[in-house]
Amino acid sequence: MGTHAKLNRRLGAFAVLLLLMVSGLSVRLVDFQVVKADEIQEKSLQSRSQTETLQALRGDILDSSGQVLAKTVFRYDINAAPKNVGPVFQTIDGVRTERSVEDIAMELSQVLGIEYSELILKLDGDSEYSSLAKKVKAETYNAIKDMGVPWIFTDQFEDRLYPMGAVAGNVIGFVGSDGTPLAGLERQYNTCLAGVDGQRSFERSAEGLPIPTSNQTTQPTQNGGSLNLTIDANLQFFAQQVLADTVQELSAQWASAIVIEVETGKILAAAEAPSVDPNDPAASAAEDRGARIFQAAFEPGSIMKALTSAVVLDTGTASEYTTVTAPDRMDLDFDNEYIKDSFDHEDYTLSLAGVLRYSSNTGMTNFASQIDRNTRYDYLKKYGFGSVSPLRFEGESSGILHPASEWDEMTNLVTTFGQGVSVTSLQMGFAYQAIANGGVRLDPRLVENCMDEDGGIAYTPEQGSTRVVSEANADLNLELMEKVVEFGGVGKTAAIPGYRVAGKTGTAQLKDGSGYGSEYAISFYGVAPAENPKFVVGVTIYRPEGVSNSARATPPFKAIMQQALKHYRIPPSTTESRDIPSDKFGKVDVND
Amino acid sequence: MSVFMVTEKDAKRLKPSLTAGLIFLLGIAMVLVGQLAINMVLTHDAYELRALKIEKRELATEVQIIQEEVSSLSSPQNLADAANQLGMVANPASVLLDIETDEIYGKPTPARAEGGQVAAANMIANSALGTVSDFSIATVAFGVLEVSVEIVDSTDAGLVLRSGLIPASPTR
Repeated sequence: MGTHAKLNRRLGAFAVLLLLMVSGLSVRLVDFQVVKADEIQEKSLQSRSQTETLQALRGDILDSSGQVLAKTVFRYDINAAPKNVGPVFQTIDGVRTERSVEDIAMELSQVLGIEYSELILKLDGDSEYSSLAKKVKAETYNAIKDMGVPWIFTDQFEDRLYPMGAVAGNVIGFVGSDGTPLAGLERQYNTCLAGVDGQRSFERSAEGLPIPTSNQTTQPTQNGGSLNLTIDANLQFFAQQVLADTVQELSAQWASAIVIEVETGKILAAAEAPSVDPNDPAASAAEDRGARIFQAAFEPGSIMKALTSAVVLDTGTASEYTTVTAPDRMDLDFDNEYIKDSFDHEDYTLSLAGVLRYSSNTGMTNFASQIDRNTRYDYLKKYGFGSVSPLRFEGESSGILHPASEWDEMTNLVTTFGQGVSVTSLQMGFAYQAIANGGVRLDPRLVENCMDEDGGIAYTPEQGSTRVVSEANADLNLELMEKVVEFGGVGKTAAIPGYRVAGKTGTAQLKDGSGYGSEYAISFYGVAPAENPKFVVGVTIYRPEGVSNSARATPPFKAIMQQALKHYRIPPSTTESRDIPSDKFGKVDVND
Repeated sequence: MSVFMVTEKDAKRLKPSLTAGLIFLLGIAMVLVGQLAINMVLTHDAYELRALKIEKRELATEVQIIQEEVSSLSSPQNLADAANQLGMVANPASVLLDIETDEIYGKPTPARAEGGQVAAANMIANSALGTVSDFSIATVAFGVLEVSVEIVDSTDAGLVLRSGLIPASPTR
């Protein structure tokens, strides 16, 4: 028993010791596993977890046929760490060779296109960062990467590329160097184009590799949508070419051309010159970076007469056979004021078509002054003047149309032939679209839709319409406008062989101080084919040097309209225009 | 705690089985080896995934380079210049043929290089133009060889297909 007791005592002591040790370990275990568990886990996770922002790509801007006008590409900044600059050992064909810094710098200067002397200075010093080149293309990046120089590193970033340059550049707008949209549709439709950056977190192993099972996307990336425009890039380019040529030839301040599809109200081209290349907006003067078609208002002059004549018909004031006397100068019974035509002539007897053909201010005044000013004002509003269009283009101008109650005696008369009111090319184009479309003005469409990444339609602009004049009077008015192109002195130069064209010239004297000066805005707005209108083309040339009539506005109109008809395969007209009185005696003119 | 005295027979019976122990140890070893294998596969896959991601990035860069090249070549500015270099002249007068009624719309008019309203060469800025069409003699000569089109000078030759070459039409 003595042995047993001794054995039991020793075992008891061992058990107590074991118990103490286990208790100690248990306390520690509970401390680690329960009390401090969260804290330890967090520390552990922090040491190996990493969060990464997944950049969303900005969406494309496409023309009506899917050609890319704006897209997102990657560009690279090339940097070096001068502190680490030194010879590089490379194994080429199994032979280990040393490349000197000078040798590397020589190759770098060729790849980056910068002077060797300039480059070597950038590689000198003890700093850890030196910028060698900014915003280089992917080919250059690949060439640099292939050099395998460890002290050169690159930063990739998103950039905007406009593959067609200044084609529709004034409409598309541009983004800043940091990707902020600054102008045009880029800015207006940023909600569609900009995506939502995503985020993912993952755990990194000791070697720096992501642990496969740890990847967790905390915020999915949503790339930007595509903005589909109604613009036809080919037609737009053609129109811009024509205008660039015209502006150069006439030393004009600017020129604009709008092409509208009559039945849909789609803007197929919104061209201007000078234009802006969104890849390099700084190369253009500040005033040329906007979109004058939407933003610049001008006194339209005689192109307004074709709209007033429709009002005269629609109010029942006159028919195509009614005539008025049109002297070359007409004295008014207030303030010694007078209205005169652009050329001296004996008294004419003019029908409405004759007024348009000879662009007679006195004749139009005699017709339109029979209509109450408030009625005429209401028509001008229905044509879309004096208010911003539903496009709500960035900085769009509403033009100037004072309420009829504010018109003085002179304004009351001159608004009938396009003075005392200012309009944008967009407004005038769509007023003509109303005439061409059976009297119904459609809301302009520049954006077809915004398509999300998966191809679903995220947004389609709504299109409203306004009836301005009756269908019969709109069609009749087109027939009157045809006489301008058939017989008009200047209008004849807008004729397109094979097609019936209706249109109106406009030569608006520009204000110079309180009166009118010697500079002009010349225009031609027209429709073709007149018997089944497909397109409205409106051309305005602002401040052409030494030009005082609209004869220089018809060639660009003709070229652009002819191209539109050809491009969209519109067959030539097969019918003749109707005989309508249009000569200076109020009779039908077969040929001048 | 109590200590029990047992007989030798009982002690033998209670002695842990070596086989069971071995099976237990083998089981643990197999689990560990399995875990190791899975870890190795995962690690290997992680490297492969990384390599594939790098390859994907490189291919995306290549795609971007090619797309930019295509965009530049197909831009209207390059096409206008290319057409101008080739001496092409736009003809504004279109003639349409209606295949259903056999009617011809429009009057054929020859294109004129002079006096046209449209500038021959490009006038629209595009600083994104990189690769442009090259019509140097060397390039054109190379292109002719590549496309396997034989120009037939003699009208007598007609449309004869010879040794895989498609002869150009003798139409004047």
